[in-house]
Amino acid sequence: MKYESLGKELIGLLGLKGSPVAVKLAKTPADIPQGYQKMSEKHRHCQFVQDARLKGTIGYATKAEHLCRGGAAVMGIEPSPELLADGTTYQKLGNFKTVEGAIDTVSAIPKTGEQFYASVYAPLEKAEFEPDVVVIVATPRQVLRLSQAYLYATGGRFAADYSGIQSLCADAVVAVRERGVPNVTLGCNGSRKYSGIAEDEVIFGVPIKDLEKIVEALKTFKEKWG
Amino acid sequence: MVKTIKALGIRAPNAEFLAANVLKNPDTPGEEVRFIVSPGAEAGMEAVARKYGYKAEIAKGEKEVEVRMVPSGKTTEEIDVTGETCPGPVMIVGDKLSSLGIGERLKVKSASADTIADVSAAVTASGSLILNQGKEGDRNFIIVEKAEKKAVAAGTAALASKDRVVVAQSNGIGNAERAYATFIFSKVALSMGKKVTIFFLMDGVGIARKGNAETVKHPAFPVLSQVMDEVIKAGATVYACELSASFRGIKEADLVPGVKLAGAATFIQLLSDPGNAVVNF
Repeated sequence: MKYESLGKELIGLLGLKGSPVAVKLAKTPADIPQGYQKMSEKHRHCQFVQDARLKGTIGYATKAEHLCRGGAAVMGIEPSPELLADGTTYQKLGNFKTVEGAIDTVSAIPKTGEQFYASVYAPLEKAEFEPDVVVIVATPRQVLRLSQAYLYATGGRFAADYSGIQSLCADAVVAVRERGVPNVTLGCNGSRKYSGIAEDEVIFGVPIKDLEKIVEALKTFKEKWG
Repeated sequence: MVKTIKALGIRAPNAEFLAANVLKNPDTPGEEVRFIVSPGAEAGMEAVARKYGYKAEIAKGEKEVEVRMVPSGKTTEEIDVTGETCPGPVMIVGDKLSSLGIGERLKVKSASADTIADVSAAVTASGSLILNQGKEGDRNFIIVEKAEKKAVAAGTAALASKDRVVVAQSNGIGNAERAYATFIFSKVALSMGKKVTIFFLMDGVGIARKGNAETVKHPAFPVLSQVMDEVIKAGATVYACELSASFRGIKEADLVPGVKLAGAATFIQLLSDPGNAVVNF
């Protein structure tokens, strides 16, 4: 498997609980890796990530398997539900004092402009496809190391942005895929409540192109800092 | 291809850090990147651009600011179509635009304002954008940004824009000017991104008979068969009226490759479709 060593090294170097998760947005059924099956149960995107991370689940989810319509919508798998798009839902849920505030945030949530057939998931070390993004659910200390590793080669500052809604979908997958740079996000009410993102865990999304240099930097840190 | 990153809602200076990381880790070295940010977030972007060898072009809107990071030294491609006569400029610009990626820009210059106006009409019809126009010395110019043609809702497409052109040719090689015009107009329409169908009927079917177009040559144009061949290879659909062919003893095997026989119903259907613009030669 193409990413077996990279995935195992990441787990070992960081001491991750579970696997980094390879995520790909598939344009058509032909883009689904051979042998991959539809997810057997309806879930949220964040739950699919958690299942791949903690149970080793491999598979893909079309519109029919996605339970969270907002998550599926930002990933281009279905049209955005009107009440989410106009901010009404989040204002009613109590995230914002005003509809205007909700609209301000909702309009800024990263969303792909493309249409996709499905989202594909696998633990990175078992992935038999080129992921768009690798989602790593980790402790703040582990994410500190990942951020330092990202900056190791060329320096600068890490830019993270999130709004506390649509975290593992918009912030960790779409923003990372579209921008081509990593992002850190703190989860959202849905992923904390339903998908088991723990109190001491945050999320790091990284484009696959950056992962090898991050692992190399982590090895250097391991030698220097233990 | 220009990479577009929507980063609305990210405030300064975080947008600046994000931009720096994108420019330091490009998907393709030297790629142009367009950031769409909220007003105010463009602060510091020019410094980021300079630091990483780019030039920032900032266009402020009421709700969004476009910060275009152009690699230093990369200049907008230019073509000067001065001296070219219709349909040359439109076809030259159409060919050039087809080689550019979405978001890339082209400067078109000509001494003739009329030529620039003609090119502008073709560019706009193909869905691309005219960003700027003016005059530099004796040259008129436009700056074109290649864009995808916006999809129009089903049912309204025909009313909104006629994207298909039907060229009906009924005069044949007896009228060389009309014969040439059939294919030259078709080439222009194709270069504007339109779908072209040529329908030969009555004397027009003679053009499609093998060997006939080889006999027509105007001093200022290539031999007619060459222009016809270019249009067929460029993707035009070409029909010859079955009745007209039969009337003149022309069989399908007598037609040049790429021309198919079609009945009157096909012609009527083409004429009846409100999405088709019909030109008669």
